[in-house]
Amino acid sequence: MNAIVIFKTLTKNWLRSPTGVFFSILFPLMLLLIFGTVFGGEESTKYSLYVQNHDVHGGNATNLSRAFIEALESTNSFEISELDKDVNVSDFIKHQSGIASYRFLIIPDGFEEHALNRSITVRNGIILDTLIYIIDNYGAYMNQSELENITMGKDALSAWMNQTNTTKSPEILLIADENAQSTQIVKGIVYSVVNAFNSKLIGASDTITFKSENLQQRQWKAADYYLPGYIASFIMTNGIVGITTTITEFRRNGIVKRLSATPLKKRDWILGCILQQTFLGFTLTVIMVGVGWVIFGVRAIPDIYAICLIITGCVTFSSIGMTISGFVKDVEAAAGIGNAIAYPLMFLSGAFWPLDLMPAYLQSVAKFSPVYHFHDALREIMIYQHPENAITGFAVLALLAVVFTCAAIKLTKWKDL
Amino acid sequence: MKKVIEVEHLVKFYGNLRAVNDISFDVYAGEIFTLVGPNGAGKTTTTEILECIKTPTSGIVKVLGMTVPGDEEKIKRRIGVIPQEFNAFERLTVRENVKLIADIYGVKEDIRRYLEMLGLWESRDKKFRTLSGGMKRRVGICMAVVSNPEILFLDEPTTGLDPEARRETWDVIRKLKKSGKTIFLTTHYMEEAEKLSDRVAMIMNGRIVAIGKVKELIEKHGGGFKVLSGEKVIGMFATRREAARCALQLYEQDKEAEMIEPSMDDVFLNLVHKKINERGELL
Repeated sequence: MNAIVIFKTLTKNWLRSPTGVFFSILFPLMLLLIFGTVFGGEESTKYSLYVQNHDVHGGNATNLSRAFIEALESTNSFEISELDKDVNVSDFIKHQSGIASYRFLIIPDGFEEHALNRSITVRNGIILDTLIYIIDNYGAYMNQSELENITMGKDALSAWMNQTNTTKSPEILLIADENAQSTQIVKGIVYSVVNAFNSKLIGASDTITFKSENLQQRQWKAADYYLPGYIASFIMTNGIVGITTTITEFRRNGIVKRLSATPLKKRDWILGCILQQTFLGFTLTVIMVGVGWVIFGVRAIPDIYAICLIITGCVTFSSIGMTISGFVKDVEAAAGIGNAIAYPLMFLSGAFWPLDLMPAYLQSVAKFSPVYHFHDALREIMIYQHPENAITGFAVLALLAVVFTCAAIKLTKWKDL
Repeated sequence: MKKVIEVEHLVKFYGNLRAVNDISFDVYAGEIFTLVGPNGAGKTTTTEILECIKTPTSGIVKVLGMTVPGDEEKIKRRIGVIPQEFNAFERLTVRENVKLIADIYGVKEDIRRYLEMLGLWESRDKKFRTLSGGMKRRVGICMAVVSNPEILFLDEPTTGLDPEARRETWDVIRKLKKSGKTIFLTTHYMEEAEKLSDRVAMIMNGRIVAIGKVKELIEKHGGGFKVLSGEKVIGMFATRREAARCALQLYEQDKEAEMIEPSMDDVFLNLVHKKINERGELL
């Protein structure tokens, strides 16, 4: 069959093209290593935080301010650097180079003293509230002397509090870029440390406790989530961008015309191109799974379902590429159109970050992306080993493969080039 | 003689542009038939219609007795083609490129014979991109003949080649004619048409302005034999004998004498009143 002849020819031609091999295999691999390291590593993310402690006496930080900094460190969320109290934060930022995100936590002078005083006030307030609650709800069941004693105690405490309740809460200040996504996370962590401190200072024990459990029975790594996304994305870009530019280049340099003058049928030319992309997709998958396994410890297991899905995905995206190259004449335009289609499909698909991080309307849009269905189905099969959950993804890709293969055959010109 | 190509009232439009304007000609088995004319005259369009890669707007086109459009698949199996600005897979070797076409045609025979015939055997493992222009054209011809076609379409096979590579290509074309192939050639080089062709059709603005055997065309439209003395034209003569006599007389008078034979350049100049430069443009 002539499609096999074309497949062999294109594969040989591709294997001998350093640029082709780089962009089809090595570049995706490079991105896998970079993204895998950034998003898929075992270590949790740490946020840099400058702490400027003004609560210093005799050259030493007060015990409470020191304990607060240690509590921040114990969250394992921060890379803390202490900043001398005489440094002006605005000047400090001005003299820094680079585009790193800066966060400053400022502990005010008198933090310990005010916190301790405030804790006494708060404790007294709680006692007073408790006495009022007892009088209001249980006063009717008490004898006269008990009620008088409690009311007297309440009045005495209230009078004393009115005289002494001037202590303000010490205010810890967090200075950070409000537009940075990480700021909300940092705020949350600092807020929970402040809350824990508030409770400890008044000697309160937890009224409500909280614990979290892993949803999966097995412990999945971030790289387990991302690997199918990377595979799906790069099969898509190779198909849509790679095939479009290659085919338009073949048309520009006369190879398509030369072949169209032989008995080679248009159908065989298209199938040969799709077969070559499928081979490329497989090669890419094998290498990425291997690298994911060796470097990131990913436990992806390609089985017969995964192989069928990868074939379907390769056919889908290369047929989209063939369809585009069917009506785009110019190589530069083909690359531009390919990129304009491929990159939104890729970034909106949730391949590089979970869809939950995106706004709700974009999440709805993402579910129309064939890349979303591809990587989602691939993840279900290769990682979670639930092929039954991949049926929708399979069906979407298979339908698109049929539609676009027919469109490619219809739109590709084999005459009057 | 058997007609292998028959063209009657062929017309081809590109939008509003009439690229081929009601042309008719026949090509006979075993001859070299050349369509000669400047760039944009309609040579390639006509050739590509015969090669079944373009659709005619109107007219009757028959190749090997089969009709275009209609019998394209059958025709393609029996013809060989080198398109204009021929190219092949750059990173494939000479042998791999020729083998590709052989495989498409289902040729079982060893391709070595063809590589040797075109002088490519020594270079069989060289990548196509590393070859000289002349060698690339030979690869193109080899790809065209590997299916042992009855008609070979060579669309400007020597354009852009240096004189030596051009002469090498001419030798190959002559060799192919000797082997019994019918050759349909296009060129803008009048010298090439004159030296290689049995018959020539001169095409201009989509119309055939003259057609016939080279000798007949030159006799009819060449303007005769020119006798010069220095830069000065002494006379034009219908026959070589008369011109030679005139030149001899000048020589006997101790004058410079040169006799110039009419050529296809003169035919074109006399019919179109323009010349064609090296790049195929009208002057």
